[in-house]
Amino acid sequence: MKKPKSILLVVGFILSTLNISAQRGSFLDHLRIGFGGGANSSHIVVKESYNVFEDLTGSTYKNGYTGMLKNIGNQYFVQVEWFNDYIILSVKPGTYTYRFSKFNEVIFTHETAEQEVPYLLRYISIPLEARYSFDLNRFRPYAGITAAYSNLLGSHDATNQTFIRPKFTAGAVAGTYIDLRYVILDLNVGYLVGLHNITSKSNRFETGNGSTFAQDDILLNDLQISLSVLFSLQKQKHYSNVECFY
Amino acid sequence: MLFILGSLIQGCEIKQKEILPEDGFTKIYNHPEEVLSYYPESVVELTGGGYLFVSAVKDENAEIEYPTTYLVRTSASGEVEWTMSYDWLAPSSRLIKHGNSIGFVAMNQQFEAHVVLVDPNNGNVQSEHDLEMTMPLYAYTDTQGYLVVLGYDFISRSSWISKYSADFTLQRSNKLSINTDLEYLIQRHLNKTGQDFHFFIGEYSNEAGTGYYVNCFYNYTLRTVFMDVSSLSATGDIYSFQIEEGISSFLPISGPVFGLTSYYEGNNYIIPEAEIDVNSSQNIKDLPGNPLYELTFKASVVASELTTDTESYALYTSQTNSNSIVIYQHQIEPDSLVATHHHYFDQRVMVTDVIQTSDGGVAILAGIYILGKYPRPLLIKMPADPFILP
Repeated sequence: MKKPKSILLVVGFILSTLNISAQRGSFLDHLRIGFGGGANSSHIVVKESYNVFEDLTGSTYKNGYTGMLKNIGNQYFVQVEWFNDYIILSVKPGTYTYRFSKFNEVIFTHETAEQEVPYLLRYISIPLEARYSFDLNRFRPYAGITAAYSNLLGSHDATNQTFIRPKFTAGAVAGTYIDLRYVILDLNVGYLVGLHNITSKSNRFETGNGSTFAQDDILLNDLQISLSVLFSLQKQKHYSNVECFY
Repeated sequence: MLFILGSLIQGCEIKQKEILPEDGFTKIYNHPEEVLSYYPESVVELTGGGYLFVSAVKDENAEIEYPTTYLVRTSASGEVEWTMSYDWLAPSSRLIKHGNSIGFVAMNQQFEAHVVLVDPNNGNVQSEHDLEMTMPLYAYTDTQGYLVVLGYDFISRSSWISKYSADFTLQRSNKLSINTDLEYLIQRHLNKTGQDFHFFIGEYSNEAGTGYYVNCFYNYTLRTVFMDVSSLSATGDIYSFQIEEGISSFLPISGPVFGLTSYYEGNNYIIPEAEIDVNSSQNIKDLPGNPLYELTFKASVVASELTTDTESYALYTSQTNSNSIVIYQHQIEPDSLVATHHHYFDQRVMVTDVIQTSDGGVAILAGIYILGKYPRPLLIKMPADPFILP
């Protein structure tokens, strides 16, 4: 697994490009802190499917996952940003909860049973975002890239044991800052792609009490929408309907 | 930076121990017909990979009350390759490996026991042999290749034990008088409507000689009877209270020491090291057991031996009240419980057969009630790793 080293390289690269401009002001003047939350929607990509049911007449049973509109989770995080004129580095550590369901179909002559197994995966996650912003006074839209390391929290649910703990994701973000003078709102949309299978191969069939199914090899992608409230340690620009120049 | 992220997306994977589908799997074999009930009996691993298992299939609309025979051949990863139905009734454990053929023992409508040999490549019947006995309850192939079959003689009201050569010629036979009419109970056992009695046959060899142990009805009670390997005469036994108590599994450990599980007074017990005189009659209550409260009422238990490169273990596989299959792994010498393996399910399960596979793992054949109402076969393949202990 070379991911931690690669992420360090990415961080080093960003920091080195910002190094010169960072020296123009003190570190604290370029710092924003705050908190935020939002909703996410899980998008499950099946790498390899395993079905616990075999039909003795040769039929194949459907085996899949609920769609993104049904997979609504949430996230809560603390946000710390370092910025200069255009470049912003943002860290948003917090809990990221994903919900989705797997369904298995079992066909009988007079009934078709669909077994649905709900998942709730709660990760402690540390996303790092690099953003390029445009200064349009009160609104400062931005676009950027993101990478995150996450660790799955334990649970009494037996199916939780069929997932591996670490998770790495990467993706793109876009959004806008809204400067409200004393606070800055950060409206952020991101799509993160799972970089690896998140299920445990050795526990593929250890799906536990309340559910008889086989765990697939899956990627967990997710669409996130977040709203953060940030407090700048720098003196604020004043925007109003009437601008005064002295 | 985008290039680096792109590379990450393309090439990353958390390193995990790769589990191939044939290393470990759980498969439930469903038939869409609701009126069919499947009662799996025995599984064998085939040379060259794959499994073959036999089930008794009961059709609630059928005119004949006894279940028919149904074979399923699977790949090494548990996928169905072919299935075949046979008119032979009430197939009994265990399947027989006979050269390149696989055989099962079942009966016709006149209750006459036959061994039927089939081609494992397609299920076609190759030959049928009359075993000259009635109501087969269990079949066992010993280490010398002899077939030993337990049946019930409803005329003399006896347990019927017969031994056959490799070409299924009768070598020796013995009838153990039950002294009471148990035909109705035997019929209900065979047609899956009554109590499932734990009939079994095995082989032991120690200072007292070589013989078979046969769990059968004898002299009013369900007993484990020790029989001389040549004459099939009974040398000793372990008896219990009528048919309400008994031994559910039995395993020779070393010399006069046997491992066994039993049930009486509503509970199940395990005695991993019981010193038993095969030449005397003993009461099961004289064997102090450790209770297994978690097991189902009068639980069926399969005792088997598992050998790794360095150790031998006794495995006692059964099912719990919380719908899990449990394996108690005992180190043989000195005896100690070294591991307990659980497989949880959301429906009732019942273990019927356990074999060690060629890769050192374990295959478990069981029954499961899909949706809580349709009994179907369940095959679990466990890799060798969980059984290899540091």
